[in-house]
Amino acid sequence: MKILFFTGKGGVGKSTLAAAAAWQLSRKRRVLIVSLDPAHNLGDIFGVAIKGRRRRFTPSLHLDEVDLRKMARAYLERETQTLSDTYKYLATLNLDSYFSVLKYSPGIEEYALLTSIERTIREEAGFDYVIFDTPPTGLTLRFLALPQVTITWIDRLTAIRRQILEKRYTIQKIRRPLKEGETAREVLLSYREDDDDIMARLKALHDNYRRLTAVLQGGDCGVVLVFNPDLLSRRESERLIEGLNDLRLPLRLLIQNKVTAANREIAVAVGDSLQAAAGGAVPLQYVALDPGIAANNGSLYEIPEDLEANLGF
Amino acid sequence: MALTCLEVQELENIFALLLLGSFVGLPAPPTFLSVELLPFMDRELRVLHQRAEDAHDMLAEMMGSLGVD
Repeated sequence: MKILFFTGKGGVGKSTLAAAAAWQLSRKRRVLIVSLDPAHNLGDIFGVAIKGRRRRFTPSLHLDEVDLRKMARAYLERETQTLSDTYKYLATLNLDSYFSVLKYSPGIEEYALLTSIERTIREEAGFDYVIFDTPPTGLTLRFLALPQVTITWIDRLTAIRRQILEKRYTIQKIRRPLKEGETAREVLLSYREDDDDIMARLKALHDNYRRLTAVLQGGDCGVVLVFNPDLLSRRESERLIEGLNDLRLPLRLLIQNKVTAANREIAVAVGDSLQAAAGGAVPLQYVALDPGIAANNGSLYEIPEDLEANLGF
Repeated sequence: MALTCLEVQELENIFALLLLGSFVGLPAPPTFLSVELLPFMDRELRVLHQRAEDAHDMLAEMMGSLGVD
């Protein structure tokens, strides 16, 4: 299964091109296209209502829109449940509902995004291609960076936790073992790594993010960068390329959209400079401005450019 | 022995501070990491609280760690 992320500045046409690529690929392969952009327009592009659930557009092309707020809410409900279970006594005082303010925590949205990507990758093994249409650049880079940032944190916390457990073990060793019928004067704390809830949770999280990072950096995953022949789009794309480099995420294809005869000269300059920034080995494709699509009487099924050729990697 | 106990407590304190430091203005880890671990942080939170409560009386704290009654 190949995983593609279509990224780029807002308005450059990444949703349209993601849809066009999905359509072209679906003629031979099974394709799932997922919109992660909170401002969904996948349904508009294909002219169907998706409304938060999977839709079979054709037997080989499935559409999905992720409702970020719903995902964030579901995640927090789960966590709040664990929390409430631990602090059960609060329910008797009717105080347990106060944990619900957690839903306003910053960073939850990125996390929900990441979780939904991870779940899609894990559960949708039946597709040859999974195409993600991503939200604006800033959010995209942040959630793509999230697994690696989190692993750094988890590593540091694990190191401290391990020290705590080692010290506890030492203390346990120094104290004499309990005689029969004797009860300990103090609460016995877990000192083995397998017994410690926090350690177990840290380890589970660590494994999870390692796996996800491996998938994202792996050979079956790729980022497609869409941009226009203009300065803002070029600058933002440069930053994105830099960000992807830092995260060691593979850039597979550059698509320059909305190229006309009039802006061809700028287009070549922008395209060349971005291709150089990307290391030179990434293919670059030009897509002409289609006035038909812009005026809403054309159709993306008739895009003359062959997008599929470079997506086989 | 007393020193090791104290060390453990300090470590637990640091652990809790790192995870929940946003309460006192430290840079916080990704929020969801705190949320994930919060259910198990019972003891660490108590230690953190105790440390904050004792912080104004450094002398007593020092005597305590040295084992002077």
